[in-house]
Amino acid sequence: MQYGGAPGGPAFPGQTQDPLYGYFAAVAGQDGQIDADELQRCLTQSGIAGGYKPFNLETCRLMVSMLDRDMSGKMGFNEFKELWAVLNGWRQHFISFDTDRSGTVDPQELQKALTTMGFRLSPQAVNSIAKRYSTNGKITFDDYIACCVKLRALTDSFRRRDTAQQGVVNFPYDDFIQCVMSV
Amino acid sequence: MAACSYRSPGAGPGLAAGAALPGQCFCGTVDKDRSGVISDTELQQALSNGEWATMFDRENKAGVNFSEFTGVWKYITDWQNVFRTYDRDNSGMIDKNELKQALSGFGYRLSDQFHDILIRKFDRQGRGQIAFDDFIQGCIVLQRLTDIFRRYDTDQDGWIQVSYEQYLSMVFSIV
Repeated sequence: MQYGGAPGGPAFPGQTQDPLYGYFAAVAGQDGQIDADELQRCLTQSGIAGGYKPFNLETCRLMVSMLDRDMSGKMGFNEFKELWAVLNGWRQHFISFDTDRSGTVDPQELQKALTTMGFRLSPQAVNSIAKRYSTNGKITFDDYIACCVKLRALTDSFRRRDTAQQGVVNFPYDDFIQCVMSV
Repeated sequence: MAACSYRSPGAGPGLAAGAALPGQCFCGTVDKDRSGVISDTELQQALSNGEWATMFDRENKAGVNFSEFTGVWKYITDWQNVFRTYDRDNSGMIDKNELKQALSGFGYRLSDQFHDILIRKFDRQGRGQIAFDDFIQGCIVLQRLTDIFRRYDTDQDGWIQVSYEQYLSMVFSIV
């Protein structure tokens, strides 16, 4: 593998020594960007999911769109690094709640997890989220990650519009639909 | 067929009255004789999308019973007709222009870039065009989002004011 001469090559000193770059470069094409498929492979190879099952493709699509600021449908290495750090944090979090190492948490544990992540949500809001993501009353690691990605993306889109920081936003129809569909 | 009658006054973006989408009305019409309008492959393709069970599960029991399933059958036939209407070049896929025509035919008035977003979100095959089952899912999500927007838009001016929590609850109940 040619690190030095690769297209989309090192963006900062020491990047080529970054072990993450190895995983990234192994799947990235000529453009130095990865799409959801490649991300799935990358994450699986890197073992970020730890003992848990690797992410399904839909979750990977969500992750790409979470960081896809230029709407290209792909992510570059810097975004990948950002994603990695975030995923690690979320995984640590999940582990702390999955005390029996079953690979799943129940809705109450999800609520606690979201609260400690800093999301201030009413029990009803958490309930509708938990219902959306549970299978047989439990939430798997993959679904938990999908939930966190969506929460983060939606929170970002809300915050960007809440310029007065009042916790309230006025949405016109078109913008509302676009916001939700972009997640 | 159920009509989606959200209307915003003036020339603003929104959904004109009288728009019609295949209804989610399970009146008990059962097409058990497998008339051949839907082939096995088409049905399998339509049902391969895991969202179907959620969409038709009226009682939140994480599955569909037989009578709900027969409703699915009719529903798919209706959608198949819609799809054929708008797949003007008979490619079996709906491209961006056909999608724009379909949505404006349903009465939606949406920005040009919205269609790119919709395709990106629902194009499961990654071809920049939308297959039959993805088209259905996209239209249904759009309809449900419009419905929920309309419920909050009490003065019908095409704007809603929502708190962070309301926003999250709205979205998570649909996508």
